[in-house]
Amino acid sequence: MFNDFINQFWPATIDGLAFGSIYALIALGYTMVYGVLRLINFAHSEVFMIGTFGAMFVPFTLGINSALTGFALVGVIVLMILAGMLASAGTAVALERIAYRPLRKRGASRLAALISAIGASIFLQELFALVIIPNVFDRPQQGRVQMGLPRLMERTELFSIFGHTVRVDQVLVIVAALGMMVVLDRLVNATKIGRGIRATAQNPESAVLMGVDIDKIIRMTFLIGGAMAGVAGALYLISYENTNYFIGFLFGIKAFTAAVLGGIGNLRGALVGGIVLGLVENYGAIFFGSDWKHVISFTILVLVLMFRPTGILGESLQQARA
Amino acid sequence: MLLEVKDIHVHYGKIAALKGISVEVNEGEIVTLIGANGAGKTTTLKTISGLRGLTSGRILFDGKDISKMPGHKRVMAGLGQAPEGRGIFPGMTVHDNLLMGAYARSGNFDKELAEAYELFPRLAERRNQAAGTMSGGEQQMLAIGRALMAKPKVLLLDEPSMGLAPLLVQQIFSIIEEINRRGTTVLLVEQNAQQALSLAHRAYVLETGSVVKSAPAAELLDDPDVRAAYLGGGLGHEAPGERA
Repeated sequence: MFNDFINQFWPATIDGLAFGSIYALIALGYTMVYGVLRLINFAHSEVFMIGTFGAMFVPFTLGINSALTGFALVGVIVLMILAGMLASAGTAVALERIAYRPLRKRGASRLAALISAIGASIFLQELFALVIIPNVFDRPQQGRVQMGLPRLMERTELFSIFGHTVRVDQVLVIVAALGMMVVLDRLVNATKIGRGIRATAQNPESAVLMGVDIDKIIRMTFLIGGAMAGVAGALYLISYENTNYFIGFLFGIKAFTAAVLGGIGNLRGALVGGIVLGLVENYGAIFFGSDWKHVISFTILVLVLMFRPTGILGESLQQARA
Repeated sequence: MLLEVKDIHVHYGKIAALKGISVEVNEGEIVTLIGANGAGKTTTLKTISGLRGLTSGRILFDGKDISKMPGHKRVMAGLGQAPEGRGIFPGMTVHDNLLMGAYARSGNFDKELAEAYELFPRLAERRNQAAGTMSGGEQQMLAIGRALMAKPKVLLLDEPSMGLAPLLVQQIFSIIEEINRRGTTVLLVEQNAQQALSLAHRAYVLETGSVVKSAPAAELLDDPDVRAAYLGGGLGHEAPGERA
């Protein structure tokens, strides 16, 4: 068994980093919304799902069914990421407007928002299974069947670590995800809108007194978190080449686990939590078999909640107890 | 008249917090609202700055009715506030907190930043420190400095002396006097009636959501009822549960 671990260590590390990057991008949406509203947006899983279909729409419309190279490949990948961001960010903003804001304005409890989120989640899944996938993607009667993406990018070896292949698609996911994290970090820490988001997270009443339009900040928070989930959706689709109406469920809960693991409300925590979860899951799979991946993830969630509920890095978007 | 609060009523659910409060503030004045805990002082300030909605009544500022104006727009209209409990942003540096004070403004605010650091040299020393790690007095200075960054016409101060040592209270109050001398009108809410009345030009005494007295501050300092109830001058007529 120890030999297995040695043999599979590097492939598991690369896979773990790739999956972890996707968890981290989704986790950002949970953690940002929590930071500003103290609310877990449980419909965020569907924001990711819609991102995969937004990205799928590009090769589908362009009628691509063979691998591309050079500028054509880069162009299609960029378009897929943009389409994923657009679809997800649009969904997230609509969710805030329709499922959350009316409740917030009436001063409803967080439990009401949670129920609203579950309702919105089921609605969006069924919308895709019954309407969007059969009609937009021209798959009548197959709304609940997994949909494949034709291979866009040859899985060529980019380099190897100790004799283990690292493919170009894996590197794409990791690099693109890290790039988005850097952009987001700058956005939150060095722009006016970012200062507005941090101020709202730390003390909403004071933020209003400073002239911050809270409604606008909340909308921006959903928009940015949604866009990040859209990037995750596009990257997942490009790398793993399939999606379905129900794909958000597992990724959503895993990303939520990553957010809690890193420290909910903490942007860097989402990155750390995502990567750690991705790695642990894949290392664990070497010992217990990949069937046990999900069990490992949720065992981690339970352990974190029991022994360190503030996560690895703790809460920092608010730093309410600084 | 710069700020005129006309017969405002405010409710928390079914409970009336303000039962017809009227307050007037003229340009250049320091006006104080004194009263016990739960008298409605903080609610009055929060209603003026738009954090609480009105049931009835009107608020006029600079000749305009701002009763329906959303809270975040009132800063630009000229209302600056250092809220109860200071309300600083604990995870931001002192400098970023001050910049938040100018959030609604555009352009260059180097001059206001320099002025804030000049009024509160302590803040300049700590400009890169996380605000949440500072002492209560320093946080109060930051809250006032931050409110000044918006160049308000009226500065609303909610209990700036709360939880501070007497020496610091003196210091904060002399800075408030200086801010007023430089041309900012001040509306001050205080439980420390002695200090507030010594500083202010005029004062209103609030009790359970109503104004029970209004007069020049110096007169209230000598008023036997006020002395008894708020200045520790022997046994007054206080109702049970009214004092903290």
